[in-house]
Amino acid sequence: MSQNYLRTDLTTWEIGPYHGALPVPMRLKLQLDGEVIAHAEVETGFLHRGLEKACELHPWKSLVSYADHLDPEGAVFGEIVLTNAVEEIFGIPVPERAQCIRVILCELTRISSHLAYIVRMAKMAGSETIIHYVLRDRERVLDLFELLTGARFSINFLRYGGVRFDVTEGFIERVLELCELIRIRIKEYNDVFTYNHSFIKRSANIAPLSKELIRHCGITGPNARASGVCFDLRKTYYGKAYDRVEFEVPVGVGALGVVGDVHDRFIVRLKEVSQSIEILKQLVETIPSGEYCNLVDNKISRAIRGEAVSRVESSRGLLSCYVLADGKDTPARVQFTTSSMFNVKLIPYLISGVRIEDLPVVLASLDLSVAEADK
Amino acid sequence: MNTQGTWIVSWFDLVGLPKDLPHWVYTLVSLVCVYLFVVIPSAVLMSYLDRKLTADLQARIGPNRAGYAGVLQSIADFLKLLQKEPQFKWGLRENLWLVSHTMALYSTLAVLPLGSLALLVDTEMSAFLPFWATLVLALGTMLLGLTQASVPGWFGGIRVAAQTLAGSFPALIALVCAGVRAGSFKWSSLVHSQSFALWGWAAISNPFQTVAFFVFIISGLVILAIPPLDGGLSQSDIHGGVSSYLHGRRLSLFQMGRLYGFFFWCLITVVLFLGGWNLPESLVSHLREGESWIMLSFLELTCLLIKTFFLMLVVTWVARVNTRVRVDQITDFSWKVLSPFSLVALMGASLWAGWRAL
Amino acid sequence: MKNSIFKSVIVYAKDVFFGFWSILGSCLTAFPYILRIGELRKEVTEGYPDPVSSKTADDLPARTRGLLFNDIDRCTGCHDCAKICPSQCIKIEDEPGSDLTKRWVSIFDIDFSKCIFCGLCVESCQPNSLFHTKQYEGAAYQVSDLVASFGRGQLTSEQREKWALIRKSDQNKKGLS
Repeated sequence: MSQNYLRTDLTTWEIGPYHGALPVPMRLKLQLDGEVIAHAEVETGFLHRGLEKACELHPWKSLVSYADHLDPEGAVFGEIVLTNAVEEIFGIPVPERAQCIRVILCELTRISSHLAYIVRMAKMAGSETIIHYVLRDRERVLDLFELLTGARFSINFLRYGGVRFDVTEGFIERVLELCELIRIRIKEYNDVFTYNHSFIKRSANIAPLSKELIRHCGITGPNARASGVCFDLRKTYYGKAYDRVEFEVPVGVGALGVVGDVHDRFIVRLKEVSQSIEILKQLVETIPSGEYCNLVDNKISRAIRGEAVSRVESSRGLLSCYVLADGKDTPARVQFTTSSMFNVKLIPYLISGVRIEDLPVVLASLDLSVAEADK
Repeated sequence: MNTQGTWIVSWFDLVGLPKDLPHWVYTLVSLVCVYLFVVIPSAVLMSYLDRKLTADLQARIGPNRAGYAGVLQSIADFLKLLQKEPQFKWGLRENLWLVSHTMALYSTLAVLPLGSLALLVDTEMSAFLPFWATLVLALGTMLLGLTQASVPGWFGGIRVAAQTLAGSFPALIALVCAGVRAGSFKWSSLVHSQSFALWGWAAISNPFQTVAFFVFIISGLVILAIPPLDGGLSQSDIHGGVSSYLHGRRLSLFQMGRLYGFFFWCLITVVLFLGGWNLPESLVSHLREGESWIMLSFLELTCLLIKTFFLMLVVTWVARVNTRVRVDQITDFSWKVLSPFSLVALMGASLWAGWRAL
Repeated sequence: MKNSIFKSVIVYAKDVFFGFWSILGSCLTAFPYILRIGELRKEVTEGYPDPVSSKTADDLPARTRGLLFNDIDRCTGCHDCAKICPSQCIKIEDEPGSDLTKRWVSIFDIDFSKCIFCGLCVESCQPNSLFHTKQYEGAAYQVSDLVASFGRGQLTSEQREKWALIRKSDQNKKGLS
């Protein structure tokens, strides 16, 4: 804090699109008072790819391969929100088996995305060993994706009315093996990283997210749940296959600091990984038999016009999609609303008052995805 | 020259050079020899072992392409850095950093205790001399940071200065603890008061000395900004602070300086607390009677270097597994934890030594 | 007064002890990795390219979407794959051939610098001539080397005339029978 009898000025520091402190390409204009950030401005848009416009130019069949590039780490969430909206417009029912397979993919993607979050936090905090352990285990999840869908990240697997292929032979056993492996590894991560004193010093009591800020900026997902706002779309609205499993929604309680600080956001995501394992174990053993896809050859009828909004709880927050069809080969409008857009809006409020050395950790704790934010 | 420096004369005999050159020639040659044959090989070996150990900890292979199992990796990195172009022209102030950096670090070469015969400076103040050199080094690094026209440089410079100030106090007190036990600050008497066996080491002899040992090594990490306590040179937010604009040859100079600082602080810790170069008594008396000075100094140097490398690897292990500490938390830790513990250790060590003298 | 000083000293000592203990615990958890104890602590990296991989092509799953390959003898030249491709990386040129059931595909180029390996072309291929191989190493030194050509080559004018005659006679045969 600057004293009144010593004249000090604020230092301006612009961190450009690429910097070690930033997890994603964006520009931050900071005003520093000593080592504390007094004021910040954010500028994004460096990864704008025109995804929504591209969706208007391509036929319905190839839209799914665009939607899974919305958030490369959580590909299936983009696909599922788009296919739900289109199925609602055209009235295509989805069989039970396909819904279960979709939810299994969602939970696997959630695990993969949260493991990548641990890697980013550890990199910014400066601990290198846990990064390699976590990446090693994330490779097992990606191997499962490759077994089921053929690709590791951009899976392009969902179709209108179901999924592209059926579950292969060894898939269920390998999912159960993976659940067991991750359960053992989480204990190891807790020993090495989560309750390590130096990490707690770097993350507890830092940048707590208050409920007023959540309401002001529209924050959803694990960031909001870590501050005590218990809203999870899987429980409240979704239905689909989630009502045949039992799981808890972890909420931050501030065990090692205040509620909603960086450590809470970290712990909530670790607990979500454990809950995803529970969901997977319950689902995989009870997949209903039946068709895996209702609509052969993806023929969308041209006579139907309409619009629909669908939402899904992705690993970063609430993801929603609006589709407008007016009887042509291509949609008239596709719009995605992602949680990272609101997280970017939150940044200037959250990092005021934070020390400059904590900036990388705070930005990594929000789980930003610039691909989602800039589309 | 003092009697301890006779080793260099016997080496000269071996090689066949004349014996009655002026003293400064002997000193210069011995400094160059120490640098070339002790410091540089240890730096090369140490950086390779560091990377291999880090890779083992992280369940991966590590360097394995340059040479058999990657042993030439450090040399390959050094050669790569040498051929990079510097981006900025250096002015007067940056060259001032270069001069003070070089003077500070490499003046300690004369003081390095490398064996019972290989001591150039063995006076009552010899244990404090490396310590003053680290203060000059910190001043130089702060100057380098403040001369840059960018925020990372200013922040890096100020943080390094704050860290050094915070770490110096406990380091000094711990050093005094070691001297209290041995009775003087001469290298020879510090090592002579310990023995080869594990229970003769200063760190084990007395619980206050154990505390002093931990305080000394940790405050050394604070002073020299060695991971995990390298807030002043933090990569993630200020891109390395003072080294954010050093490239190529200047960066290799800077990194070499940091590695050398780590090496000599661990060397001094080993000499003060972990038994130094002591070999088993029977072996030493056999070698002294047989007048095989070269064998004796070689064995002592090997023993010393093995212990130093082991200590450096333990510090590397702690650094890679734990997160980096924020710079204000480092200074808090130094003032609020290390300093009280060092004062308690000093009081206890003095009482213990006084009790034994009664 | 005495109580509060004593309590703060106890809190301080606990904090220091907990810090030391947790750091020691982290280090000891990571230590067995140096000695490679147990199945869960093997090293996970390999020294690519010696060997290229410990896994063979059979170890990859059957559905792996590697580089594309077109069996040109079955390709009918229907352009379905080029129409559906989101990045428009397939270039096809075709003309009537000697066979009435399919066209002569003279140029069939897939530009792998644009391909996103989504698999939509394979899905939409009716005669099942286009498929994914399991090959994943597609790096080249020049961008022009990244284009894979499967076409049969341009026809000369004599071949065109000859085949036009064959087509006419086939159509007449069909018309008569």
